[in-house]
Amino acid sequence: MSKLKISGVTKVYGATAALSHGDLEVDAGEVHVLIGSNGSGKSTLCKIVAGSVKPDSGTVVLDGKEVVIPGPQGAKALGIGIFYQELSLAGHRTVEENICLPDLPMRGPFVDRTALSERAARYIALFDGVTGDGFAPDVTVDALRPDQRQLVEIMKALATEASVLIFDEPTSALDRAQAERFFDILRRLKGDGRAMIFISHRMDEIFAIGDRVTVLRDGRTIGTMRIDETEPQAVVRMMVGDEPALAAEAAPTPIVDATAKTTDVALSVRGFSGQGFSNVDFEARKGEILGFGGLHGQGQSAVLRALFGALPVSAGNVELSGNAHAPSSPRAAIRAGLAYVSGDRGRDGVIQGRPILENVTPIHYLRDRLFLARPSALREKAKPAMDALNTRFAGFSHPIGSLSGGNQQKIVIARWLIDRPGVLLLDDPTKGIDLSAKADLFSLIRRLASEGLAILLYSSEDAELLSNADRILVFNGGSVTRELTGETRTRFNLYEAAYEAV
Amino acid sequence: MVDAVSQPVRRPGALKRVLERFPFLPVLIIFVALLALNGLYQPRSVSLVGLTGLVKTYLALVLLAVAQTYVVYAGDIDLSAGAIVSLVNVVIVSVMAYLGDGTFSVLGAMVIGLLVGLACGIVNGVVVAVFRLQAIVATFATSIFFTGVALYVMPVAGTPAPATFWRTYGGRILEIPFVFWLAIVLAAILYMLARTRLAMQLLAVGDDAQGAYQSGLPVTAIRMRGYAMCGLFAALAAFCVTGDTASGDPLVGGAMTLNSVAAVVLGGTALAGGFGTVVGSVFGALSIGLISSVVYFIGVPSEWQNLARGAAILLALMAGVLVGRRMRS
Repeated sequence: MSKLKISGVTKVYGATAALSHGDLEVDAGEVHVLIGSNGSGKSTLCKIVAGSVKPDSGTVVLDGKEVVIPGPQGAKALGIGIFYQELSLAGHRTVEENICLPDLPMRGPFVDRTALSERAARYIALFDGVTGDGFAPDVTVDALRPDQRQLVEIMKALATEASVLIFDEPTSALDRAQAERFFDILRRLKGDGRAMIFISHRMDEIFAIGDRVTVLRDGRTIGTMRIDETEPQAVVRMMVGDEPALAAEAAPTPIVDATAKTTDVALSVRGFSGQGFSNVDFEARKGEILGFGGLHGQGQSAVLRALFGALPVSAGNVELSGNAHAPSSPRAAIRAGLAYVSGDRGRDGVIQGRPILENVTPIHYLRDRLFLARPSALREKAKPAMDALNTRFAGFSHPIGSLSGGNQQKIVIARWLIDRPGVLLLDDPTKGIDLSAKADLFSLIRRLASEGLAILLYSSEDAELLSNADRILVFNGGSVTRELTGETRTRFNLYEAAYEAV
Repeated sequence: MVDAVSQPVRRPGALKRVLERFPFLPVLIIFVALLALNGLYQPRSVSLVGLTGLVKTYLALVLLAVAQTYVVYAGDIDLSAGAIVSLVNVVIVSVMAYLGDGTFSVLGAMVIGLLVGLACGIVNGVVVAVFRLQAIVATFATSIFFTGVALYVMPVAGTPAPATFWRTYGGRILEIPFVFWLAIVLAAILYMLARTRLAMQLLAVGDDAQGAYQSGLPVTAIRMRGYAMCGLFAALAAFCVTGDTASGDPLVGGAMTLNSVAAVVLGGTALAGGFGTVVGSVFGALSIGLISSVVYFIGVPSEWQNLARGAAILLALMAGVLVGRRMRS
């Protein structure tokens, strides 16, 4: 009998199904690996087990009994502990307080500080020697490095002493020694008969520690295999599915001829480093769509934001059409002819509650140093940019909120087109946009490229990258680990590069 | 398994460590400086009589600042704290007027007062934590509601409190002023409360409510308890107000609300939640009291006193926040 059996679990957020059919069976005394590409539903599945997300349908069976997990507190009572990918630590509390926070030891009405320190010390001792400088039980968590915080979250999960333990990407910030120590602990827990669910994007880790692997794709459980009966290639193939081997076949042939591309370099980046990425080199030519691929958060967005001056840069040279450019602020970047469009329209794009006209023209104000402008004159200027996007809208004076997400994003792009930029940075631009609007957006992006714009495109949807980018740089751990061009732009290669160890 | 960008280890300096342990240090310095200033302009103000007067007048604000601290811990705020003071004030004065002068009457009124304060706190907790309304707006609305109830209980100010009540408050036990005994008891209570599970849970919720929820903490119940504590301490503050003014006034607490918030901030507690101490709030409230008296003793003309007091509080806030930031970095 399996320790934990999840069948037919679904979860829908608005119009998107985070999980359309999740199945999972975990035995006591095994490490069960969950793998799948971005947005395949792994984290949602884990959060359902941990009680922090309520499923829309499906059943969870624990120790042969069907259970309803009412919330994280209830999950704790059922013996389910979890390591959250985004961590669940209180920054101003100390390491030991955080470890014991879910279940504080009490003496009468007071917190038993001695028992708390002793209990925390047991779990801290597990990582003795690999915790690094500045780590101590009485240090507040916000003074720790990312890898040390991740260790605290691991200790906190272990301290629940739960019989089902879930680890959602626990090793993403750990160094080799810390991860090895963690695996030793997992092996010991396995011997104790605990059931463990482990999410990782590193094939080497999965094959080092896993007993079985379950693959998810597009919110569905595809299948489960024994680790010792399979190989990395087979797992990747399962993640990819039965799509055409060459997804790039779907892409239109690049419109600009090869010679034009090789001569005119629009953007050249050398040794570019900052928080979350290091030593990134690439060149983008005029008329080219350069794709940034790989797993979420491997530095793609950070590079784009840093180029635009929105994140600090620690080292590197940037040249725009041969002229040195120091990315200091978005203002300077805009003046230098960079354009940045983010998928997070609410934060970076749309000016909520204001008319469409005001949403189209802010960059024009900045680039032309306008102080006063007649709305009618602005409308004249905005019109061609809007026409080019074939955006349907009732009038410039209507509020931006009256448009759909896709059309709002077009307005945001249109604001950059009044004064032509040289390089367009697209940071996951189609997030939360419906399919037809996506198609429109990409035909626009391709047309802009054919008109000579250099475009950097990061997309969390691999299909978008494969069918639109001329070249794909695969990011892994903050640097570019592989470049896919021409025939090599396949989903298989993309996944293989994204999931390999660095 | 990657440490994409190795960050330099932040080695907290000795000063930073001290400040992390005692975040109320800046406000303590401000408090001592203000005390010295008071003594400079009016030596009598730092005498036993002068200090007794200060504590007698500002113990209510101290208690209200403590009340406010518990909700601010969790990242919430209570703009109805002053209205609860008013309501409890008129309720206990009315009850004592009804029951007559006597120990039984006073104690009975205080029990009722505490229950009223607790009820108000629970109302706030339900509105903010259960119905998830914005704390700042929701408690503003309940403050109007509580004031309305207070005005219903006592439409005009002026009903006197019985002599037993204010004579005890202003009197002495074993030659030591009663308010000092209160201060000692308060210190003991605060010392114990800081060691309860609730204090740490409130701070954890204020740090990251989502994280606390995911860790299995009952976030809604914790926030409700914070508001309940706030109501209880607001009722205690009302007792002090009643002892000090010896009468009922349905609007007496209104002006104290924002003073209590200022005292909390001055005490080094983060309004965003997750960080702070009640000790800081205590000295924050006392500092605000000292500012008023120093402005008076310096001899600022009465029409300028508000302006001078406002400027001084602003200065103290800036000094506290800047010193804190300096010492932390």
